[in-house]
Amino acid sequence: MVEKRVVTGNYAAAYGALLSRVDLIAAYPITPQTFVVEHASEFVNNGMLDAEFMRVESEHSAMSACVSATAAGARTFTATASQGLALMHEVLFIAGSAHLPIVMPVINRTVAGPIGIWAEHNDTMPQRDTGWLQCYIESNQEVLDMIIQAYKICEDKRVLLPMMVNLDAFILSHTVEPVEFPDIEDVDKFLPKYKPEHARLWPEDPMIIGSFSPPEYIQEIRYQTDESMNNSRKVIEEVNSDFAKAFRRDYYGMIEEYQTDDADAILITLGTVTSTARPIVDEYRDAGKKVGLVKLRFFRPYPTELIRKIAEKTKAIGVYDRAVSFGSGGPSWIDARSALYGYNIPVINFLAGLGGRDVMASDVRLMFDRTLEAAKEGKAKKDVVWIGTRGVEP
Amino acid sequence: MYEVRFHGRGGQGAVMAAQALASAAHIEGNYGVAFPFFGAERRGAPVLAFTRVDKDRIYTKTQIYEPDYVVILDDRLIELVNVAQGLKEIAVAVVNSQKKPEELDLGIPIKTGVVDATSVALEVLGAPITNSSILGAFAKTTGEVKIESIEGGIRDIFGHRIGEELGEKNAKAARAAYEKTEVGTCRGERKMEVKKQWLPTYKELPLGAATRPMQTDAGLVGPGSFIDNKTGSWRTFKPVYDKDKCNMCRFCWFYCPEGCIYDKKEEMVFDFDYCKGCGICANECPKEAIEMVRD
Repeated sequence: MVEKRVVTGNYAAAYGALLSRVDLIAAYPITPQTFVVEHASEFVNNGMLDAEFMRVESEHSAMSACVSATAAGARTFTATASQGLALMHEVLFIAGSAHLPIVMPVINRTVAGPIGIWAEHNDTMPQRDTGWLQCYIESNQEVLDMIIQAYKICEDKRVLLPMMVNLDAFILSHTVEPVEFPDIEDVDKFLPKYKPEHARLWPEDPMIIGSFSPPEYIQEIRYQTDESMNNSRKVIEEVNSDFAKAFRRDYYGMIEEYQTDDADAILITLGTVTSTARPIVDEYRDAGKKVGLVKLRFFRPYPTELIRKIAEKTKAIGVYDRAVSFGSGGPSWIDARSALYGYNIPVINFLAGLGGRDVMASDVRLMFDRTLEAAKEGKAKKDVVWIGTRGVEP
Repeated sequence: MYEVRFHGRGGQGAVMAAQALASAAHIEGNYGVAFPFFGAERRGAPVLAFTRVDKDRIYTKTQIYEPDYVVILDDRLIELVNVAQGLKEIAVAVVNSQKKPEELDLGIPIKTGVVDATSVALEVLGAPITNSSILGAFAKTTGEVKIESIEGGIRDIFGHRIGEELGEKNAKAARAAYEKTEVGTCRGERKMEVKKQWLPTYKELPLGAATRPMQTDAGLVGPGSFIDNKTGSWRTFKPVYDKDKCNMCRFCWFYCPEGCIYDKKEEMVFDFDYCKGCGICANECPKEAIEMVRD
């Protein structure tokens, strides 16, 4: 029976793994991800989930275990945050290049220094080139639903890549809100058992995975990953439609548009700031100000064509980032500008909420005001706007 | 929509109370969200938790600055923290206290519900854990949520966390507190100080935050700033030392995580400016020369 309860994002993530009937969980606890591991181990211990729970000594080992087990044909799950993800870094490439469909929630947390435990995207953004799909999440319901969808997307033969499902530290991980839990039988129908073909370490069918490769081969291997990443756009849309049909919740695929059709100014957000921005769009619309919102759900692959279509129907675009590439700008903005090369509209970057600073309604209003102003003027006063930074004019 | 701020101490279960209220709201068909103050939690230290309730889905993911209700799990916190911060004249308080509403001074004269939740908890649960009882008082004082829904919310959140039986007991505690809650108006004479925070511009902040001892308008920062930050205020229990039973084995000195116990050759001496009352010393003492008593 479908059950609805108020739970944390961490619980939703662990329960997503349960509903996906993962075979192996290998994870190392780190704030604010710890409860994902605790809940998952409870599910295994209580007999709710028939999986191997592997205690490892570090995140490097957690990812190594997931790589090996997925290569052996298992459906695997792990979770991490911040320094833990940084420690996994070198193994992430192996999962990407070997096309291993691992699913991992990352509880976005500031990477030191200085040490902090609050929400920032400077842990996942630097992992954009590892061959992992990246999805940013807005609500606990979406956490649960995306874990299930992630396996379906990643295990699709046209994709066969791993995915990070990214949720903001504390703002989702430690916050309870109502979540509907689908029936596991319905999830089974939606997400059949993983049938490995390209990589399975079965003694009766010997293969080598990740062998030493000279320059004669690696360039083609890179192209394979790039092609899979490009293919995944279509698969993401398909899986979203199938999911919406099966569970009556539609996330609109790569991006979600809100009030964009006749908008003078559109803000592109990712993570929980999207949620805070929604009522502000309503507020502006009520006041006769034509603003719209684009929720960037997938950062990898980047929804290049969709962002171009957005640019075609508006006069200025603002891009919110919770991370910065020093000396350049926010990573999401950099990609938006790259996608919009040749489009003659202002594209402004807003940096706010770094280190977990609260992104307040007034901050989001500033983003809309600035983008509306650029729409009117036809150019931006400033390319990269730091909001709420003491001593810096926004 | 209404917003609630819970004041408790780390370990008192303020977060579970906030979550159970969200669940109670959910039972009534409302949308309930609850979250802790996004901080590093420490046992005994003043902590905050929040609940937001509306009839429709809540999208706002910001923190709460001007709550409609403030719930205080321990009336001694009134001396330690500014419980009135951000409160409007129409706000309502719910306090665990043995005093009457008129005897409490929250720094703002507002409608206040009071219950001796500690006694209720001791009676029903056999432990001074007040996070369930206080919710009964919340239901009675505010009328925002039915006591039956509070019981349901407690069964859900507490039940999933600590087992069905304890969930049921805690629901009973809430009901008992509901019956005993007294509603009145508190006084507002106390000058509530807003604790100053050191907020330098990026230019004033030392490069990379490599900080030397520095006096700021918010007090000392950098090495030695603990002189200002007397963590003894986090204490709920206090170690009482019996010199006659002590054999000077110094286990307490060795195990004290705060370095608050001094070896004075003839006896051990406790530094109550910083002792947080964790009780490790009493637990480790082989001679039972240390007893933890309510501070």
